[in-house]
Amino acid sequence: MEKEPILELKEICKTFTKTIALDGVSFSLVPGEIHGLLGGNGAGKTTLMNILYGLYRKDSGEIELKGNKIDIHGPRDAIGYGISMVHQHYLQISNYTVIENIVLGTDIDKRYTMKLDSEAARVTELCDRFGLQVDLNVTIDTLPIGTRQKVEILKALYRRIKILILDEPTTNLTPQEVDSLFDSLRVMVDYGMSIVFITHKLREVLSVCDRITVLREGRNVTTLERSQASEEVLVRAMVGDQVNIESSVYFARDTQQGSELESDAKPVLALQSVGLISKDGIARLKDVTFQMRPGEIFGISGVAGNGQRELAECVTGIIPPTSGQITLNGKDVTQTTINELLKLGITYIPEDRLHDGFLPKGSVAQNLILGYHRQPPYSDGRFIDWKTVYQRANSLIREYNIKTTGPDAPGGNLSGGNIQRVMIARAFSMPSSLMVAHNPTRGLDIRSMDFVYQKILERKKQTNATLLISEDLDELLLMCDRIAVIYRGEILGILERSQFDKYAIGRLMSGIKAEE
Amino acid sequence: MEQLVTFLRLVLLSMVPFVLASQGTMLGGRTGVFNVAQEGIMLVGASLGFLISYQFGNNFVGILAAMVSGAIFGLLLAYFTTTLKMNQFVIGLSLFFIGVGLSSLIPKLVIGITLSPPLIPTLPEVSIPLLSQIPILGPILFKQNGVVYFAVLLSIGLWYYLYRTQNGLELRAVGENPMAADSLGVNTVRARYLTAIIGSALIAMAGAYLPMVYTGTFTEGMVRGRGWLAIALTFFGGWSPLMILTGSLFFAGVEALAFRAQVIGLAVPYQYLLMVPYLATILIMILTFRKARVPGFLGQNYDREKRNL
Amino acid sequence: MTIARKITPYMIAIVASFAAAGIFIAAMGFDVGRAYSTILGTSFRTPNGFIQTLLKFIPLTLLALAFTVPLTAGKFNIGGEGQMIMGAIAASAAGIMFAHLPFYLLLPLVILAGVIAGALWGLVPAWLLYRFGLHEILTTVLLNFVSFAVIDLVATGPWRDPAAGHPTTIPIGEGGFLPMLVSNPPLHSGLILAVVVAAGIYVYTTRTTSGYELVASGANPRAAQVYGINVKRMFVFSLVLAGALAGLAGVIEVAGVQHRLIEGMQSNFLVLGLIIGLIAKGDNLAVPFVALFIAVLEVGASAMQRTMMIPVQMVFIVEALVLLFVLLSDVVRRR
Repeated sequence: MEKEPILELKEICKTFTKTIALDGVSFSLVPGEIHGLLGGNGAGKTTLMNILYGLYRKDSGEIELKGNKIDIHGPRDAIGYGISMVHQHYLQISNYTVIENIVLGTDIDKRYTMKLDSEAARVTELCDRFGLQVDLNVTIDTLPIGTRQKVEILKALYRRIKILILDEPTTNLTPQEVDSLFDSLRVMVDYGMSIVFITHKLREVLSVCDRITVLREGRNVTTLERSQASEEVLVRAMVGDQVNIESSVYFARDTQQGSELESDAKPVLALQSVGLISKDGIARLKDVTFQMRPGEIFGISGVAGNGQRELAECVTGIIPPTSGQITLNGKDVTQTTINELLKLGITYIPEDRLHDGFLPKGSVAQNLILGYHRQPPYSDGRFIDWKTVYQRANSLIREYNIKTTGPDAPGGNLSGGNIQRVMIARAFSMPSSLMVAHNPTRGLDIRSMDFVYQKILERKKQTNATLLISEDLDELLLMCDRIAVIYRGEILGILERSQFDKYAIGRLMSGIKAEE
Repeated sequence: MEQLVTFLRLVLLSMVPFVLASQGTMLGGRTGVFNVAQEGIMLVGASLGFLISYQFGNNFVGILAAMVSGAIFGLLLAYFTTTLKMNQFVIGLSLFFIGVGLSSLIPKLVIGITLSPPLIPTLPEVSIPLLSQIPILGPILFKQNGVVYFAVLLSIGLWYYLYRTQNGLELRAVGENPMAADSLGVNTVRARYLTAIIGSALIAMAGAYLPMVYTGTFTEGMVRGRGWLAIALTFFGGWSPLMILTGSLFFAGVEALAFRAQVIGLAVPYQYLLMVPYLATILIMILTFRKARVPGFLGQNYDREKRNL
Repeated sequence: MTIARKITPYMIAIVASFAAAGIFIAAMGFDVGRAYSTILGTSFRTPNGFIQTLLKFIPLTLLALAFTVPLTAGKFNIGGEGQMIMGAIAASAAGIMFAHLPFYLLLPLVILAGVIAGALWGLVPAWLLYRFGLHEILTTVLLNFVSFAVIDLVATGPWRDPAAGHPTTIPIGEGGFLPMLVSNPPLHSGLILAVVVAAGIYVYTTRTTSGYELVASGANPRAAQVYGINVKRMFVFSLVLAGALAGLAGVIEVAGVQHRLIEGMQSNFLVLGLIIGLIAKGDNLAVPFVALFIAVLEVGASAMQRTMMIPVQMVFIVEALVLLFVLLSDVVRRR
């Protein structure tokens, strides 16, 4: 039964300085549907929706709401039209309370005293209706990520919206929480809303969406009903000819064989009862114990904020653990700092690559040597040998396909994807017996993701170990020999490849310890 | 006792430029605009306020003129940083330079290089009926010039506005997380422009106050670094209007004490006493800095279309 | 970018600000052409004018570097004034207390005392930043005020020169005078010191690993920290180094020009140093060139006030406008 679309975006074009983000993209939304917007990172999905929501201005194209052309100059307009968006990185004011975040920007009854009773009553009613329980009077910075997402959704629901856009909503959820979110979505649809679901994960889209639109490199590829869609079709649509699907790791169907790892080889990395108490007195890591064998890809799974960053920083020597011991290739490195560890053969890909790893005011060359700038071949410890730096920089630029005018180019001029490539190039540019990678493929387009996976597998062949910390469970299931689950700083379980089970891991991620 | 009353009256009188300039700084900072041009703005406010007052024979007009000049500085600050997205510190310093230059240039051009500059009358006292009769407190609190009352009321008003009204909630949100505020429809650009303009007008007013209260004339070194001190006091007051009022009172008090000590002729060389207010400020900053909450996006510009890479 | 392309925005900025000022000058009834030629030409018309320019160039360059070095690390040092004053005080103190020492002992002592004093005066805000997280803009400014009190104390204390009308000390020992390069008009060897130091700073920031770490700390302190750079230590170091540079400026003024401590010796060097640093966009290599240009303008400005009665502040406004236009050119280029 053909329904009239409630929303249509026609031939939307958007260029950012030099990059064409959207090249004539069209999208339509029918009332009461959950419409998946699928594509790799950089395909243009978020850009398209940001235009709809008024955060970006389109260069050309039209937006029609119920058949009438509308102009959206800013989020205020979008909200006025009944459109709301839950962003990938939650936009919340940390020191405001939940209720203050929800009502910010709306007209408050008692605007000159700020007594929020009637508003709170309305929100509580929404909580009950949609099954989203949150304490309204605590400040955001005290809430865990999963709860913060509920606040984001409440923000949208509070504004009596008809169209809800969700940008990668499952990034920080356990498998069980994902199911629960999908249930909530169906309740919302029953209440008359229409939903746009942005994601790069095929399997999600197949499980909850009525229709699916695939974008690639800023263009429409196809729009399908769920009945017409299957994994193969979607894969093909997402990557076209860019990736050789047969040899791709990302799309590998057969779980790759755990290679024969000598179980009695000396461990590369060993953590023994490692604990970390942060400055505000909270235990971020508790009694963490595990070993990694040479060539092993060891995964750390968990919902964001359960100690992954602290674990990464302890192993890499950025912060020293409060208790316990860490050994690298037999040597005690508990108190060793990162610049020593970088010399001893550790490499690190931090989670927030832009913030934690990139110098926008530095040149490409300066970025490529960050961390290695005190070692040969780049330096003798006192002076930097720029000639060698430039030589290596040029070869890295070629090998990693970094689009830039040269090693001199200011880092800030690079596009997002190229910045990621610089950081990956840097991480793989030096030999290392242990690589700590935290969400290494986040934000990468599919081809680059594949490239990173290939590189990690190469390390395996060279018997170099990789500690893969990732909030993307699918990635871990694909790549790892073993997976440990971290919850509130504790390792709740370590599973061998043969034992991998998504829901079992999901339970551990939620803190439900396995029965003995 | 007589001496104490006179002393405290002086403290209240002298805290005003700090209060006005710091509140002006705070207001801008609350939306993320970190104004560092205070010294220049106050200088222009002082020289222009003095000149206009002299021309029209009316201090009030002088103050208004000063505020307009401050507003122009604020407009420039907002335009260069919010619209053109240039670095706030650099623009602030540039405006400071221009202020220094203009404030010396204009009097020289208008009055010429003379040895005895013209004078304007100082601000008259306004006694509040009844209240000013209260023994001791009366003369201290209720027998001051109009600007003193304005400064106190302003501080209270700002507190109420920021923390007890819807607009205040939205305004603070712009400084804490402009992306979040923007995504909910709050007009971040307008908020930044308004606070920069009004804030700078207040700062200029602080400058205009100086010739009208102390010497009756404008001299080049008149602001004596109070503009910079205002920034310190704003941090010191935790970017919160009532704390800023308290902090300004404290600082004015210490400064007045130092002068008093000079006059009394203590055995301590007076230069040491001159240092005391600044060192005291540093000390207090050390003690209170732990708790100071700075607006999250202070000093950073917000570009809606900037891709979060 | 070729040199020509780099210089063009500066040229345009200079022309534009002169034009703007010219309108003002003409409106006030002065001879614009003569004003221009006085401002720009005074430095080159007489040997004295040229030497005066060089003498101004020295403290301006050092104070500008005292601003740009921490700026590279992302820190704002507004305390060059205080650091210079403390350097001058220490230099005078050493020069007076050990006045009897011969040249090869006294001069190094004077220089060392001043540089260390300036460095210490930079260490205080650095430590306050390191230990308590206090913003350096404030602490450096507050310490400037403190230094005013100190110089007053010293200049009116036991070393006071009773013959002088203004607080000034007695001269330092002759061994502490910087040797002259040219005696008439007087040009002292502080010039060599300044140039060598400026070159040294340039080499430091571009070629050493420590300089790289400084740059990285300013570009993204978080990333630098993650990759093993002790960012906090870099901040401290940059401020201490800046203090030393400003202190050196103080030493040179005392040992080379005045040979005693005069209250107010800091003149307006700080503000001009800041302008130079900003016009040079924090580039240590550009600083000496911009400083020379500003020195020319300053010398021209005093001449202009003397001969044409145009207030010196006019030139100050020109300098501020140059800065603004240079900054605007960045914005234009970005579009």
